Parts: sequence; C-alpha cells; structure tokens
Amino acid sequence: MRPALAALLALLALAFAVLPAPAFALEFRDIFGHDQRPLEKSSARADVVIFILHDCPIANAFAPEINRLAAEFQARDIRFFLVHTDPDLSATAAQKHAKDFGYRCPVLLDPEQRLVARLKATVTPEAFVVTPAGTTAYRGRIDDRFVELGKRRPEPTRRDLRLALEAILAGQPVAEPVTKAVGCFISTPKRSSP
Amino acid sequence: MNQPVLTTASPLRAALCNMLLAAVITTAAFGAAPAAPSVAPTADETVTFNRDIAPIIFQNCSSCHRPGEVAPFSLLTYDDVRKRAKTVAQVVGERLMPPWKADPAVGKFHDVRRLSDDQIRRVSTWASTGTPEGRAADLPAPPKFTSEWALGEPDLIIQPSEAFLVEAEGRDVYRAFVIPTGFTQDRHVSAVDFRPGNRSVVHHVIAYLDTTGQARKLAAASSGSSYATGGGIGFIGAEWLEGWAPGKTPRHLPARHGKLIPAGADFVLQVHYHKTGKPERDQTRVGLYFAKEPIDHRVLVSRVNSRGLQIPAGETNHIARGTLPVPGNATILEIFPHMHLLGRSMTVTATLPDGREIGMVRIPDWDYNWQRGYAYEQPLQLPRGSRIDLVASFDNSAQNPRNPNHPPKLVRWGEQTTDEMCIAFLSYTTDTPPTRGGGLGAGASAAAKIWQNLSPALRAELLRRFDKNGNGTLDGDERADALRYWQSLRRDAGK
Repeated sequence: MRPALAALLALLALAFAVLPAPAFALEFRDIFGHDQRPLEKSSARADVVIFILHDCPIANAFAPEINRLAAEFQARDIRFFLVHTDPDLSATAAQKHAKDFGYRCPVLLDPEQRLVARLKATVTPEAFVVTPAGTTAYRGRIDDRFVELGKRRPEPTRRDLRLALEAILAGQPVAEPVTKAVGCFISTPKRSSP
Repeated sequence: MNQPVLTTASPLRAALCNMLLAAVITTAAFGAAPAAPSVAPTADETVTFNRDIAPIIFQNCSSCHRPGEVAPFSLLTYDDVRKRAKTVAQVVGERLMPPWKADPAVGKFHDVRRLSDDQIRRVSTWASTGTPEGRAADLPAPPKFTSEWALGEPDLIIQPSEAFLVEAEGRDVYRAFVIPTGFTQDRHVSAVDFRPGNRSVVHHVIAYLDTTGQARKLAAASSGSSYATGGGIGFIGAEWLEGWAPGKTPRHLPARHGKLIPAGADFVLQVHYHKTGKPERDQTRVGLYFAKEPIDHRVLVSRVNSRGLQIPAGETNHIARGTLPVPGNATILEIFPHMHLLGRSMTVTATLPDGREIGMVRIPDWDYNWQRGYAYEQPLQLPRGSRIDLVASFDNSAQNPRNPNHPPKLVRWGEQTTDEMCIAFLSYTTDTPPTRGGGLGAGASAAAKIWQNLSPALRAELLRRFDKNGNGTLDGDERADALRYWQSLRRDAGK
C-alpha cells in the first residue's frame, strides 16, 4: 500500500514536471497551421503576448515597433505571440494582415478568446509579459505614444514593454509592472439577444 | 420640451410632478430617432440596434465608416457595430466621433455632424445592456452612398503624375504635388471636390493655385513633380482654392458665384498623410466643376491672423489675437480655422458697425487632426465698417502631449509642425474692388502681388531681415512685417 502510494506520488510529480500545468494548457494553431503553445513552460526567459485587432488603427500603427521588439528580443530568448481578438477573423484574412504588416512572430487566432480570458486583456494593442513561473511580470501599453483615444504624442517618451523586457533579462524587477493600454476595446462574444 | 406644466404648491402634487418630470426626462433619454417619432419607447423598454442605434449610426457614421472610405472599419450592419460597441460608446461619449469641433452655439453650418446628448446616452445604454438587436421591422433602410463623385462626373479631373509612397511609420508627412493647369485663359469653378486615392493615409488635402512659378521650382529641386513641406506649401504668393477633410460634403457655390483659376496657374495639392503601420501608396484626384453661368460674384479667400506670434516655452494658456477690417460690404461663405499642434481654442467674432457682435466660429477644443472648413447655412453679411476679431489660446507646456518640442521651446510663426500658425481663412464675396488698404478685399493676394513686384535684391534683403524662423521664406507675419518695413522706407524716401 505504502510503496504503491509513493509510486503514485512519484508518477504524479513526474507528470507535473513534464506536462504543463493545467492553467497553461493553451494549444493553438497559428495562422499558418503550426502548433503554438504560448504560456507553456519552455526554455524561454519570458513570453510576450500582444493582443491585436486587424482593423484597429492603433494596434496597426504599432506594427513596426512590434516587429522591431520581436526581432531584437526573440534573439534574446523571449518568445513573441500576437493574438487576434476578433473571434470571426478567418485565417486567410489574418495571413493577409500579417503579410501587409510584416509580422515576424507567430500570429494566433483566438476564436474562443481563451487567451483574452486567461490574461484578462481589455484593449488592443495590449501587451503581457509572462515569466516561466507563470506570473505576469508586465501588462499594459507597448509605449506611451497614445495618451488617450484621439490624442497622440509626436514620439513616444517611454517605451514600457522594452523597459520591462530589459529588466527581466537583467534579472531585475519590472519598475512599472502595470500600465494603461490605450486602444480599441476587445469585444466579448455576443450574448443572446432578447 | 420637458417643462413641467403643474404649478401647484401642494407638496403631494409637487412630488407627483417631480416623478412625472423624471419619467418624461427618462423617456426623452431613450427617445426614438427623429425618423420614427411615433415608436418612442418607454423607460422600461430596452434600447435596440434596429430601432434606436441604427438611425444614429447610418446618419452620422456610415458615410466615412464603409469600405473604401477614410475610416478604419465599416459601421453598416448590426454585427459591425455590435463588435465595436464599447469603443463606439467611448469615442462617441467623449465626442471624438463624429469629428465635429465647432461649438454648436456659434454659427449655423452645413453638414453638421454632431450627436445630441440624448443620442450619446442611447449609444452608451445600448453598449452596456448587451447590445440587443431588436425587431427586424424596426431597422431603417441602409444609407445609400455614391462611390464616386458626389456632384456627378467633374468637368475636369486632375491628379499627380504618379503615386506617392507613404512609409509605414513615423511623423506625419506633408507633400505638395504640382500639377500645371495648362489653362490658356481664366476659368471659374463653382465647385471643387476631392477623391483621395488611399483613404487610410490621406488626412486632409488643400488645393492652392500658384501663378508665381515657385511651386514648380520647389518640385524641380525635389522629386520633379512634388516636394515635402512642413504643413503649408513652402512659399508665399499662392492662392487657397479649396480644402478637403474626412466628412466634408462638396457643394456648388450659389448661382453666378465662382472661384477664379487664372490662366497658366499651377495646382498645388498639399496632402497631409498619416502612417498606418504598413507602407501605403496614394494618388489623390481633384475634380473641377466649371461655372456654367457668367460670374457676378468672384469668391475670394482672405484671412484673419495673429500678429507677431511668439509662444513662450512652458506657457499653458498663451493668448493670441488678430483683427481684420471689413472696408467693403462682404458676404462670408465659409470659415476655416487653422493652428498647429499647440493650439487649444479659437474664437472668431464679427463686430458690425452698430457694435452688434456675431459669433462666426468657436473651436473650444482644437484638434489639429480634425481641422476643416465650416460653410455657413446662410452666408454671413458683414456691412462695410465691420471688423473681424480672432482670439486663440495655445499650450506650450510639457504637459501638452501633442507638444512636438521636448523640452518645450519658444515657438514662433512658421510652416513646420514644430512652429505655429493662428489663422482663420475666409471665403467671401465683396461688392468693393480689392484695395491695398488691407482687410477683406485686399489681404493675402495684394500682399503677394506687392511682393512679386519687388526686385530680387530687395526681396533677398527683406528675407534676410525678416525670416525669423529661418525657413527660407517669409511666412504670414514675417511677410506682413517685411512689407510694412518696406512701405515705411518708401514713405521715408519720399519725404
């Protein structure tokens, strides 16, 4: 009895060590059909998840900055995932969008809004940095170029996502772990009509 | 419409009256659109898309929010609006959309795109109560739009010789495209319309006429047919013909009115481009409608602007003023306020000879991105001896996020977006021939002619002395100062 229990516990421990924790079990196909597992335990130093909306002008305006950050930090062991928040967007439309904006990291469709719910994203673009331990080290804007809807700085004065990633790579705490993202609100799937 | 009619002093009656009044107000808040007043719902009915929201959206949003138009997404169907309900409610609640910056209490204009408090409340209620669709029978007919020229096929369409490439990101771009008219005689137009080639990047277009040849030279020194500018067109002496911004509806001038296009003039199209995150191309077209009747009233453009604009660094509320005499009877058709990024507000007022004041336009919350002309429903008659005054405020502090200078610095008049301007352009007719005395009927065109007639050496000298912002040309205030100086020299010389 006792050895059997010990063996069971050992097996369970092994299972937990090998398999991702249930909260992390988010399997996706990206827009080209490849398996992607954002927020899964990996060898990466952190995962960046940025929520986007194909026709949100604010999210789209950030594309070149997203591409620069992805190019730079993917080379430094940070994984990047872009997540479309429109449940109705087709893979074909998303492929065209990714081509137009030159994205260089996996782009996911999230028709059930599992990632939206998991990270409690509210607007696009909103960035999340999740550590291998599963904690959200940063959430909020990519930088401060948009002060509020309809009000934009000529240049950003603070690049929050970059600062957060630099801090994590340096083993430092993120100085400002939560900022307010400005953009288009993420709509949740339609409730039943009365 | 919500005035109580009971006037009793009885506390019970008064309480009842208040309840009734509350019910009336609540009902009004959920009132149906003007198109269907007979089905006004009571307070306990839900706000639905088909009955309450669609009329607001169709009338105020869909003309720009449809495929091929300037807005980033369509708002034509229930699903279009339902998906973006929260964003729509937010921007409508903040009056960011529809973009209409003029105070509704000042001036009565064509093409007003402004929601009532009531309409805003309905959108907000609908967005926060699950966005119900409602009964199919309640849905009004979808709006009809022409996909091409709103006034019909133009008599002449002009466009830059080649498409312009707009990069994916960075500061906004201002490009001036030079297109020769090839006209061998003077022509008059009764309307000018614009068809941006790529509405996701074209933010506004202003068509100027150049008879000085300067635009050609600037273009030749640049790409050949176009050149970069800082927000104007890079030289003085061109005439403003017509402007376009999203939401603008073209219209013909009144009968026997026309704008002159002089023989041999060049069109200069100044296009303000936004960047979208990906490279874009644009080739904007301009449609001309020639006047079909003889012209009795030539429509001119003048301006009232501030003098000696200098906005100290750090100033949160710098006030600038300008004034323009009206030496002849003038009829104002349209007013187009213009400032750059530091502008906060502008009010333009006419004072009649009898001292009566008429508000011409008030922009309480200036936004450089949404500048446009405001055309009077009833053209404004200003008798001889009237005066037009402009008051504007500027925020040159670091707290102004739009401030292009970090840290803030002294800002003067100039073409660049890092400089400032403070102008209201006026489209008008007058029964008095233009004079050199200043005011409506003289203004920019007379100054430009004086300038052109100066010797190159004198122009160079005046440029050296008065080009305070060092941009190689004399802008509005600089030119006025230079010409005053030159005229004082002539007076002195004549003594």
